[in-house]
Amino acid sequence: MICEDARLLIGADPDAAGAELEQHLRGCEGCRALRAEMQRVNADIRHALEEPPVIRVARAPGATPAWREYALAAGVVLAMAAGLAVWVLRPTDTLARDVVTHVKGEPESWLGTHGVSAASIDHALKSSGIGLDLASDRIVYAQSCWFRGHYVPHLVVETTHGPATVLILRHEQVKARDDFREGGMTGVIVPAGDGSIAVLTRGRGQVDEVAADLRQQVHWLPEPAETPQTMHH
Amino acid sequence: MRNPPVQSPVSSLGERSRAASARASLTALFESMRPDLLRFAQWLARDRSIAEDIVQEALLRAWRARDALKDPAAARAWLLTIVRREHARLYERKRLELVSLDDALDIPDRAAAASADAELLTLRHGIMRLPIEYREPLVMQVLGGFSTEEIARELELTNTAVLTRLFRARHKLRGLCGPSPAAGAAPEEQPA
Repeated sequence: MICEDARLLIGADPDAAGAELEQHLRGCEGCRALRAEMQRVNADIRHALEEPPVIRVARAPGATPAWREYALAAGVVLAMAAGLAVWVLRPTDTLARDVVTHVKGEPESWLGTHGVSAASIDHALKSSGIGLDLASDRIVYAQSCWFRGHYVPHLVVETTHGPATVLILRHEQVKARDDFREGGMTGVIVPAGDGSIAVLTRGRGQVDEVAADLRQQVHWLPEPAETPQTMHH
Repeated sequence: MRNPPVQSPVSSLGERSRAASARASLTALFESMRPDLLRFAQWLARDRSIAEDIVQEALLRAWRARDALKDPAAARAWLLTIVRREHARLYERKRLELVSLDDALDIPDRAAAASADAELLTLRHGIMRLPIEYREPLVMQVLGGFSTEEIARELELTNTAVLTRLFRARHKLRGLCGPSPAAGAAPEEQPA
């Protein structure tokens, strides 16, 4: 068993025991430490779930709301909010925000220091029908992520300026480059093929160079049929 | 051809008594599990009144299908499965009203945040904020006691997909669990 498999098992079930896993743990201090850490996390999760979530009760049971008035008021407010949203959130802004939200949701993606396995990279790319001319040892994180209704490759690439997150978005078209700075990240979304590529770095890192390289390195292959049982979100 | 023996349409008093006793013990069993089911449903639905509806409907379904429950020891898992399916059915049947979680949750005030329970509350909010595809298998595993294989079967996913979702759910919550006792001893990445 390799570390990657052991870590998947430990993260999925910290109390799992199996001959193969135990044998791996005997010889791997890093995975042993991870298991101890995840067992502690799991105990906290169990404790947190023991009580029902604390949810405010919006209205007394059985109370009948004056729904006609509420519906009318809500309709007016919704219409105004929708108009405002269309005006404020231009498509590229919305895309940039979604990208930032997605990347912030995977903080562990920045932590990789070693190249991930070729199989992981292959899975992340092929799930979306993407080819990439990039040395695999520069890729320290590779997942196929569910984003805006499609599986997209989510990579972290080591650059001379530090790690850069890359999302290859074949279904998201942008007319021109969109620079943004949000959530402590600097990013750019550039048109590429029929879609686009988003590159983000933490702080004020260099994204232009990475984006320019990737536009040359990406190949758009025939898109495979998406399968709901694919393993990422 | 001989006719089959005619059975009396009237059951004996003894049969009636036994049936009534079985019904009463099953009712008591179901009712004893209601708090567990409600908690499970609340973590799935994130809405108390919807969770109550789900449990009520699930118990009705369970009652109608009570003959399928051969072993009372398996009642908990059986009922939890029905609750999960009822939640999924409701989820598919109608788009549930979307509310801001910040509005729906009791966010701890400053005093509470300073207390020892703040970490636990933060973790609870973290669990509530997990997307359903992560929250559901996690709650099934930790609260329901389902194995990975059982979750995979129930959610119609591959084992690997379930492992990945559980892994990701825990990793998303990991940062909310406070400093590790072995702070600074983060596991070293090893090349695969």
